[in-house]
Amino acid sequence: MAKARILVVEDDDKQRQLYCEELIAAGYDTLEARNASEAEELLNREQIDLIILDINMPGVSGLELLPRIHELHPGMPVIIHTAYGSYRDDFISWLADMFIVKSPDAGNLVEAVEDLLSRQREKKIQREVKQEP
Amino acid sequence: MILAGGAGERLYPLTKAKAKPAVPFGGIYRIIDFTLSNCLHSGIRRIFVLTQHKSLPLDRHLWLGWSSLFRTELGEFLATVPPQQRLVREWYRGTADAVFQNIDLLSHERPKFVLILAGDHVYRMDYRTMLQFHLSKNAEVTIACTTVPIEDASRFGVMEVDENDRIVGFEEKPPKPKPLPNDPSQALISMGIYLFNTETLVRAVIQDAKRTDSDHDFGKNVIPSLVQQGTHVFAFNIRKELPPSFHYWRDIGTLDSYYEAHMELVSPNPLFPLHDDEWTIRTYLPPLPPAVLKGGAVARCCVVSPGCVIEGGAIVEHSILSPGVHIGKGAVVRHSILLHRVRVKEGCRLEKVIVDEDVTIPQGEQIGVDLERDRKRFTVTERGVVIVPVGVAF
Repeated sequence: MAKARILVVEDDDKQRQLYCEELIAAGYDTLEARNASEAEELLNREQIDLIILDINMPGVSGLELLPRIHELHPGMPVIIHTAYGSYRDDFISWLADMFIVKSPDAGNLVEAVEDLLSRQREKKIQREVKQEP
Repeated sequence: MILAGGAGERLYPLTKAKAKPAVPFGGIYRIIDFTLSNCLHSGIRRIFVLTQHKSLPLDRHLWLGWSSLFRTELGEFLATVPPQQRLVREWYRGTADAVFQNIDLLSHERPKFVLILAGDHVYRMDYRTMLQFHLSKNAEVTIACTTVPIEDASRFGVMEVDENDRIVGFEEKPPKPKPLPNDPSQALISMGIYLFNTETLVRAVIQDAKRTDSDHDFGKNVIPSLVQQGTHVFAFNIRKELPPSFHYWRDIGTLDSYYEAHMELVSPNPLFPLHDDEWTIRTYLPPLPPAVLKGGAVARCCVVSPGCVIEGGAIVEHSILSPGVHIGKGAVVRHSILLHRVRVKEGCRLEKVIVDEDVTIPQGEQIGVDLERDRKRFTVTERGVVIVPVGVAF
């Protein structure tokens, strides 16, 4: 089975590299974007299976990019990964499939990716079963 | 949130120049006045009107007649919201999408409950009674509903409820509607009025927005899916929960239903009481002189609005005259609806006609008498009502 490809949208270089290293170690392919416009460019060009999205970024924020992702790729799994839990109060954040508050250890992020991808696979199987005559 | 963004295609040509909620009704009112008056009587003071097509006349009406009632200092507002395209770069694609596109407004307002209303219904309701019901049932969603004869139910969303009023089945426009368990001649239908716990609403419209196979419609998609998922959705049957004077409800969706609802107003015992001091319907009316019937003019079973003049020898029966209508000498108008500032010149005969605003019917013209001729120049409905549109030239 081909490796799932994760797009990490995060403006902090160190954090982004750390998340990518952890994800690669867990067996995923990664793509990196430092801001919304880089993310949008990659979304238009590359095959992506899941997005990890920071909110507080210079320029267009994650909460502004999220509806754009939804519009361009409806059903694309998205995990919001932010230092600020209060963003949950903004209903636009509910467009994401998961909301994780950043912690020093990226372990919970990797677990969330695994969990969400397996839910996506189950959904896909259910859809295929429904479509079968 | 009042949904006022539909194209109003089934009410065309009355919607040629204005959104359906801005179409006149009952002489002096606009259709949206009934829903807004309900809000006022229910103490609802934070209202978004979601607009889209041909919204200027509606905006103007709300600004002239309604905006001054809301005190922003107290957190009250009546705001019209065309598609902001903040979430998606699209127009409103359905009733649920209209709400989805405005979830940021709900984030900002943080209401506990959101009432979703249609801007094109004529009825009276104290929504607080519905809220009490919602709370008493510990509901997540409550849908106002009424009963109709089973043969008419296919035009509506039909509900199946258990003994506790919980909705266990919901079908939009089913070919074979399910009857009430205790009365096979009647079906329980949705009035398109939804009371949601805010979080349930937001989750539901987001879930719907992610579906590519959805029409993004509350009745067709969102409610059936909530019922299927086991959400606590309850039916607030107005015939059970409200006194009989609040049982009247009309969806002004088509030209024929628009016409019929008007004819009910001039029937011997109108079901919708316009003259109830306890439940006044507010509107905007420009300063106009009183209506005048000149010598020998006859008006029977009519609604005659301010500013109307009926000249001598004219006969007006079973008709509705909006403000500023002028009926010329010897003209005969029967079973008709003449909207604002229509001028009917001398000797005309109108039978079962709706004339849109500012139209002048030339001297001696006959409309509604020879339907074959009328079909070649106007819209004629299934039930034989002739519509003379705005801007028509004779």
